[in-house]
Amino acid sequence: MNGTVNGQPLLSVTDLRVGFATQRGLVRAVDGVSFDLFAGKTLGIVGESGSGKSVTAKTLMNLLPSYARVEGSVMFDGRDVRELAAQKEKHFWGVEMTMIFQDPMTSLNPVKKVGEQIAESLRVHLGRSRKEARDEAGDLLETVGIPEARKRLSQYPHELSGGLRQRVVIAMALACSPRLLIADEPTTALDVTVQKHILDLLDELREERGMAMILITHDLGVVKGRTDDIMVMYAGRTMEQADTATLFSTMRHPYTEALLETIPRIDMPSHTRLVPIPGRPPDLIDIAPGCPFAPRCRYSVDACVVECPSLEGHGTAHVCACHKPVGTEAGIAARAANEQQGTTPTGLDMGLFEGAGSRSGTGAGN
Amino acid sequence: MAGSGTIQLRDDDDIVLRVENLVVEFPVGRHQVVHAVSDLSFDVRRGETLGIVGESGCGKSTTARAIVQIPRPTSGTVVLDPGSDREAELTALHGESLREVRPRLQMIFQDPISSLNPRRFVRDIVAEGLAIWQKDHSGPHSQARIDEVLEAVGIDPEVAATRRPHEFSGGQCQRISIARAVALDPEILVCDEPVSALDVSVQAQILNILEDMKQRYGLTLLFISHDLSVVRNVSDRVVVMYLGKICEIGAADTLYSSPAHPYTRVLLASAPEPAPTVDPSDAAIGDEIPSPINPPSGCRFRTRGPRATDLCAAEEPQVQQLGEDHFVACHFPTLG
Amino acid sequence: MTRTASDAVIDTTTRRRLGFGFWVSVGWLFLIIGVAVLAPWLPIADPNETGYGGRLDGPGWAAWFGTDTNGRDMFSRTIWGARVSLTVGFIAIVDGILIGGTLGLIAGYFRGAADRVISFVFFALLSFPGLVLALLIIASLGSSLMVVSMTLGILSIAPVGRLARAATLTFAEREFVQAARVLGSTHRRIMVRELLPNVMIPMSALALLGMAITIVAEGGLAFLGLSVSDGFSWGKMILLGSSPRTLRNGPWVAMMPIGAMFLTVLALNFAGDRLRQYLDVRELAF
Repeated sequence: MNGTVNGQPLLSVTDLRVGFATQRGLVRAVDGVSFDLFAGKTLGIVGESGSGKSVTAKTLMNLLPSYARVEGSVMFDGRDVRELAAQKEKHFWGVEMTMIFQDPMTSLNPVKKVGEQIAESLRVHLGRSRKEARDEAGDLLETVGIPEARKRLSQYPHELSGGLRQRVVIAMALACSPRLLIADEPTTALDVTVQKHILDLLDELREERGMAMILITHDLGVVKGRTDDIMVMYAGRTMEQADTATLFSTMRHPYTEALLETIPRIDMPSHTRLVPIPGRPPDLIDIAPGCPFAPRCRYSVDACVVECPSLEGHGTAHVCACHKPVGTEAGIAARAANEQQGTTPTGLDMGLFEGAGSRSGTGAGN
Repeated sequence: MAGSGTIQLRDDDDIVLRVENLVVEFPVGRHQVVHAVSDLSFDVRRGETLGIVGESGCGKSTTARAIVQIPRPTSGTVVLDPGSDREAELTALHGESLREVRPRLQMIFQDPISSLNPRRFVRDIVAEGLAIWQKDHSGPHSQARIDEVLEAVGIDPEVAATRRPHEFSGGQCQRISIARAVALDPEILVCDEPVSALDVSVQAQILNILEDMKQRYGLTLLFISHDLSVVRNVSDRVVVMYLGKICEIGAADTLYSSPAHPYTRVLLASAPEPAPTVDPSDAAIGDEIPSPINPPSGCRFRTRGPRATDLCAAEEPQVQQLGEDHFVACHFPTLG
Repeated sequence: MTRTASDAVIDTTTRRRLGFGFWVSVGWLFLIIGVAVLAPWLPIADPNETGYGGRLDGPGWAAWFGTDTNGRDMFSRTIWGARVSLTVGFIAIVDGILIGGTLGLIAGYFRGAADRVISFVFFALLSFPGLVLALLIIASLGSSLMVVSMTLGILSIAPVGRLARAATLTFAEREFVQAARVLGSTHRRIMVRELLPNVMIPMSALALLGMAITIVAEGGLAFLGLSVSDGFSWGKMILLGSSPRTLRNGPWVAMMPIGAMFLTVLALNFAGDRLRQYLDVRELAF
């Protein structure tokens, strides 16, 4: 996608599958995910809990428990990441590829001073002396916009507010000038006023340093206008993938459309009836043969229950896994048929969606 | 800016809940006190939904708990049905007499899993209120009521009889919590961040159920959330809180379309998709929320307020009326 | 709302397995309890009949566990000894759970002054040398089965109570307890209906472990001459068989009750531990 910058993508994930063996059976957390990410670009991965977005990130970061079964290939700048993991390569994760998490306290050691924690990775990976590392740590804290940065070096994490902690974590992640930063729900635990600042900061830093970034979130609003490409995941699979503008202007997947419609918008008058997504995400153990979203989908036809749609192109760099994509003739017809019958082939009552979806013909815009 | 006053209280017959000069303080360490809620006043009309919105530490959840008297507020009054023959001043009641008015005021919590006793069957959990208050709680009348509330929230009563909470998803657990709360036919339902722990695809289901419950059982809702869009969607009237104080209160659409308090404007501008009524530059504000142990003098918002003056440090602003149902506590509100 | 196919209840009937060892342990416990209860009706020798066999006959067909210095059948005595040892262990731990559990529940739920007083009592009980307390009580009240059991019961109040208090504290924080208060539950109802079923889980596992400890403790008391005066326990039997001469000429007199006690205590510990692990995770549906 968008693949013309330097020819080769920085990160190339092909047909990634991750399973966890449990007593109930194999949980297929990620089921055939592929994407390319070029240097300096941002990919947004959007999904709910259980969509496989965080497992994908953990696979890239080699953070999966040992009982996880991984298949597929992950290439980073021509190197096989899974092979690096097998060789126990020390100077790759945290140096070239690094990650920040939702809760900053999970990445911070509560009993060590902030300065020491940043300096440590500089000394381990880059071989800096104690003094150099400390100076650089101070510079890093300034870069991430922490006021009185030098003074903060000798503070403990609990002395900082949530927003400052997340900035410290970002500073730690940047210490070795990574080429790819994975941010897993970096602002979900933060207040709205702080959230915007952190997202803006990540944007600036990416721009300045030419870093690639993967921004993982459950909130389409967070990625809108901030990412180059978006991948929407559901039940471990890619539902739709496109550049951000295209995705929001002509979305093709019913799940993407439903996600956008179900969230109340700040400019909606009060008591606007919300369009629910009925039911709930499927069990990842006994996966039915059809489309995982079919039981909750108002476009579903008989084929959706039987056969899982594969990713198909809709114009340049826009793929979608759906038999009856939103806004296409097939999609409009399928939905109209369901509306006429009052129920979908999976038994969904179409009355649930009343008052919704004037968007189906035109694609969702703003 | 964030300040005190009672001008926003309405003198109507159909007020079901009046909170006046509510103060909640917790001791911490030696001789230190967290000023969680300071001199907060508002009221709720029958059938209305009042939303309380603010960031963490603003005292919104503490307010919810102080209203149901768990724990009891430090001072101030909370009155149910003021002026009617069913008037009950919760803050003046104790022991058995407080327990007797409890069914009129129910609550649902943020964490749907933690809200349900893991060792009990779901049907028994929902029936608990009736088991406490109805002599014939195993009789057909009570059983029919339990079936009805379970059906109303979309849980199969038969299934509920033999399953424990861990066999349901988070969204279903929240529905069970709602069923438990409405089984006693309360007047007011206090919802403390009821959708914050849920997936976005389930959030709308729960919000719609709350609206349905409101219509069906004639409920009055007090809805607490940090999510501005959600609060606007469910509320008739909205209170914006900051560091235990009221910033702005008014009809939901008025408040969102012409926000007068600088903090309200910051919140609206900081949302992932900022409200069109504010300038995105309004989001420029320091990250540091002052400690509620030593809140700033005068207006508590002044340390982050972009236009704060000496007056803001010296004098706490009182709530003043701007429009028909629009009040703000700020020395320099944005007008128009 | 209309229910949909996918809206059905998640099937989380993951049977966590207790394992083979647990069932072997439970099997042994049932066996030992069964023979102890049925002892008067079993076709075994009178445990007090001297001269059933010769003096210190070794284990054999006539007397499976051999005979003691008075020619009494050790097999029959081991079974009869189980009656006393198990009774003491059972009564003591039931005591501990009733008193300690109730106090712990009250302390953990109400906190504040009640907690301070009860916790002080627990600390006092724990810091008082248990042996001295046992000596004092038994010396002044005699060593009937009831007195010995109650004494050991008092000693188990503090450990059981502290566990109950800690478990209650964690559950009392949970929102379902607040929800019960909002519904108008009385404190008593909350403690019985909401907290007790949750606190009983760690308590039931502790009860098995506690019973094991009590059985051993009773054996210890026997060596101080404080064992049950009406009848004989495994502890008393071990004492009788542990003179140097008997140990040399008829080690089975001590070894048989030691073996029975060892297996029983092992089974109680193992079953208790497995049970705790099993119940611990029941709440975490996948």
